[in-house]
Amino acid sequence: MTQKIEYLKPYRASEVKEILNPLVSEWFFSKFKDFSATQLYGVKTIHDRKNILVSAPTGGTKTLTAFLSILNYLVDLALKDELEDKIYCCYCSPLKALSNDIYVNLVQPLEEIAKIAEGKGMKMQEIRVGLRTGDTTVSERAKMARKVPHIFVTTPETLAIVLTTQKFVEKLAMLEFIVVDEIHALTNKRGVYLSLTLERLSNFSAIEPVRIGLSATISPLEEIAKFLVGQDRDCLIADVKLVKEIEIDMDFPGKEILDAWTTTSHRELYDMLDKIIEKYRTTLIFTNTRAATERVVHHLKEQFPGKYVGLIGAHHSSMSKDRRFEIENMLREGKLRAVVSSTSLELGIDIGSIDFVVLLTSPKGVARALQRIGRAGHQLHSNPKGMFIVLDRDDLVECGVLMKEMIEKKIDKTEIPHNALDVLAQQIFGMAISKVWDVEEMLTTIRKSYCYRDLTKEDFFAVVSYLAGDYALEHRNVYAKIWYDPVEKKIGKRGKLARVIYMTNLGTIPDESHITVVITTPADRKGQQVGKVDEGFLERMKRGDVFVLGGQKYQFLYSRGMKAFVKADVSKNPTIPSWFSEMLPLTFDVALEIGRFRKLLKERMGGFGGGRPLGRSDLPSRKKQEALDFVRKHLYCNVRVAQEIYDYFREQNDFSEIPDEKTIVVEKFKDEKEYLLFHSLYGRRVNDALARAYGYAAARLRMRDIGLGISDNGFYIAGEKLEEQKILDWVKAKDLRTILKEAIETTDVLKRRFRHCAGRSLMILRSYKGRDKSAGKQQVASEFLYRAVKKISNEFPILREARREVMEDLMDVKNAEQVLRWVENGKIKFKVRRTPIVSPFGLALHMVGRMDLIKMENRAKFLRRMHELHLKAIGNKVK
Amino acid sequence: MIKHVGRCLYIESKGKKILVIGDLHLGFEEALNNTGIFVSRTMFKEMINYLVGVFEEIGNVDEVVLLGDVKHTFGSVLKQEWGDVLRLFDFLEERGKKIFVVKGNHDVILRPIVKKKDVFLVDYYIAGGFCFLHGDRDFAENYDKKIKYWVVGHGHPAVKIGNGVKVEKYKAFLMGKHLGKKIILVPSFFDCNLGSDPRENNLGYAWKFNLNKFNVFVVQDDSLDVLDFGLLSRLP
Repeated sequence: MTQKIEYLKPYRASEVKEILNPLVSEWFFSKFKDFSATQLYGVKTIHDRKNILVSAPTGGTKTLTAFLSILNYLVDLALKDELEDKIYCCYCSPLKALSNDIYVNLVQPLEEIAKIAEGKGMKMQEIRVGLRTGDTTVSERAKMARKVPHIFVTTPETLAIVLTTQKFVEKLAMLEFIVVDEIHALTNKRGVYLSLTLERLSNFSAIEPVRIGLSATISPLEEIAKFLVGQDRDCLIADVKLVKEIEIDMDFPGKEILDAWTTTSHRELYDMLDKIIEKYRTTLIFTNTRAATERVVHHLKEQFPGKYVGLIGAHHSSMSKDRRFEIENMLREGKLRAVVSSTSLELGIDIGSIDFVVLLTSPKGVARALQRIGRAGHQLHSNPKGMFIVLDRDDLVECGVLMKEMIEKKIDKTEIPHNALDVLAQQIFGMAISKVWDVEEMLTTIRKSYCYRDLTKEDFFAVVSYLAGDYALEHRNVYAKIWYDPVEKKIGKRGKLARVIYMTNLGTIPDESHITVVITTPADRKGQQVGKVDEGFLERMKRGDVFVLGGQKYQFLYSRGMKAFVKADVSKNPTIPSWFSEMLPLTFDVALEIGRFRKLLKERMGGFGGGRPLGRSDLPSRKKQEALDFVRKHLYCNVRVAQEIYDYFREQNDFSEIPDEKTIVVEKFKDEKEYLLFHSLYGRRVNDALARAYGYAAARLRMRDIGLGISDNGFYIAGEKLEEQKILDWVKAKDLRTILKEAIETTDVLKRRFRHCAGRSLMILRSYKGRDKSAGKQQVASEFLYRAVKKISNEFPILREARREVMEDLMDVKNAEQVLRWVENGKIKFKVRRTPIVSPFGLALHMVGRMDLIKMENRAKFLRRMHELHLKAIGNKVK
Repeated sequence: MIKHVGRCLYIESKGKKILVIGDLHLGFEEALNNTGIFVSRTMFKEMINYLVGVFEEIGNVDEVVLLGDVKHTFGSVLKQEWGDVLRLFDFLEERGKKIFVVKGNHDVILRPIVKKKDVFLVDYYIAGGFCFLHGDRDFAENYDKKIKYWVVGHGHPAVKIGNGVKVEKYKAFLMGKHLGKKIILVPSFFDCNLGSDPRENNLGYAWKFNLNKFNVFVVQDDSLDVLDFGLLSRLP
């Protein structure tokens, strides 16, 4: 069976109107003047019962598009008194808060339509909407079980739970529509999970439900469409283009960008923000990280005492649900002048009218940038408006290219994880709870998901074996969650607790370890808990460091277990730069585009420089003007920005060489160690893979540990003595995965990902027999589990999944292979240059500091070497 | 004579050969299983393998002293613990004439297990100038003038060794003085975790030792010889 994925043309308004029940039509046109573009694509298509992916920029009318023909259908039935006691439509959204939102938006139209009917004296059955999320109370759930909703609003996790409830399954068996909202936010394991849940749903449905996917701007749409509908089902794509113009600009605080990190320019940054906030009614500022969010709120309050009290708020994912909800409400009510967010406000919760969006530091991808700026002008007829505020020169180039791509509407490609074995394990367990399966039927159902279309039998049975407790040998009864009968070829659940375990441990988002911050001084606030920081943040802290949390400054004293004890009311300035934590990776497509820009500008600066002293040489003024004009036109940026970019390139050119899309400049220099710094601008996901491969090559040459630093713009390896030619020659595209498997084996990142995978695959239950485990406890257990699993089999499926996740989701091994192939076929060339110190383009990367290590020397050898060194150091006086 | 044999301690005193084994925490894996962590049970087999190596080095002994926390859970006996403890005693009885178990804080109800065996369960054990203690409790008898050494478990001492680039942790003996006695702090025997570095954590002994003046003997992964690193205060 071949699958047809086709782009759709919009219908005429009259064609859409024709299908509407007069009542619904009356209601619609009492609220709206005309159908939106999105509705012209979608309403009739859904009415015709065709699968559809609707991609439209934020500010569209996607949700009503999906619901209009469904409401229309239900009203038709209700008027004819033919509405049955079953779920007709299931609406699934990754956002809990959004579900609440939709609930209001669904119930209201229904009430209004009912009112019109009543006014006309028409009898109509009640159309029920039911919301169920993780927060729904037991009594509400019971009510829903008695009076089944016709439209069921839920989250991916809760949907999976109800699939194990016999009563619900009966009500879902004749489901006609399934709506997946915000599908662009599901290109991760959560989405993979949902894809299997949808297949489970289709598996027991008597009729194949129509699948409707709603997405913000994303690429490639064909992939997302297949992800929505699964294998062998057709899908139409409505690619609704943004008709509105984007108004976007870019600038930096201060006279020159080099100042951007000094305190004065910080003042200038907040002056700049202050002016923007004054100019607009409501401004939304995106910062990328939680820490930066805190910092911006803190500085605005400090620099403008009294001015922003109660008028500015922070919003990020580690804030409490109540606090976030409060901020969202204040936004909707128009009470806030500004809100600062990490990434949490990117998604489509209705936050009222925002007039202006500030992108403070790079959003790292076009789709994300569009999503963010789309938060302004959410209403139908205003344009999204915003600006980039850039703080360093690398960001200047990066944001310039991003701005170009936004204006030219070139969206970076996204990818969905494939064959994730941990998610598979959880779903097989869930499936086994629902019923006893024929093994072939189970595998066929799983393979219908786009994310598992090429799942091998071996992998499938490896996971079944794990779940059946085969790896535990004599203790099978403890570990087994399912039974598998190889003779009858059947799979079923095991143990009385199965359903409870599934319900309380389901999900794909790992618990992160957070450290609670507790005050010790001053005495009157002793014992007060002021918030949480993540464990990684604590690791970077020394006694005496000052950091910002929730807009307040604290000084770190010491930690005990999962608590950090601090001093409050400190006057010292923060000593921890938290801007760089939890960094978003630059997308590969934008990275390549920056490489192209580098090449174009390099050509215009024409074979210039190369080791000449800084500042002495410049282009003839006409040529220089041409280059500046090029930058301005190419990036749509102002003169100030163009001048800074030009200067930055000239400095690099004079010092060493401008790396570009065809040239990876490799700088060799000595600091404490010997460095090879690769100017490989491919985004940190690709660079992570490349750094570890070249790092491993260097480590094995001398059997010593090698330090690594990784950024979006490149990476470095550092060691005692680096033979660059041997190192460069050793890494080949065809070996990359094998090398990486070795290179990541002893890293913390693999252990951390293993912990997440162990949680998803239910090897570590966060909730068991009525007790919840802290993330810290899970972590301790996972350390031990990790070692134990490796002893059982180095190819244990969940361990393999952790490796896959590191290589494919965290890193981007596929594009790293591509880069290596380009090197091998001569499309890209390495140019090794010896430099006295790091060049301007490499400065930020060099300052990132060492991020990881390729451990080549084993523990035992390291200990003996350290012993020898120590004996020398203390003069052999041990005895 | 006192000799480190990997993570164990071998003592010859007044013609008696004694092998000392630190905290064992048998049943650790089963306890994890009971909290919903599905780790398989490999620990016991590995412990026995390690002990086989130790006995190959020193031959059979007169006495085996276990420094407490033989089993992991408090207040109950898990199936795995029951079996493992019995099998451990079977193994040790073939290689030592007497077995002494100093009671640890985890061993609240070890007695029903021990009853089945010819094993002496004690709060402390004094022999030939040595006093063997778990380490969580102090006894007046420890201060007897005839006692020269305290051999103590409980604290799971380990040290972090790093060179500014990499940090690794290793099990370690700490040896020093306290109130005129020579103190030997024995690392844990069990494999599930390496232990705690006294420079970062309080090891929870019943006494306040001046650990900075203790010498560190680091246990190697691949050899039964330990490495003398000198004073804890001067450790890299």
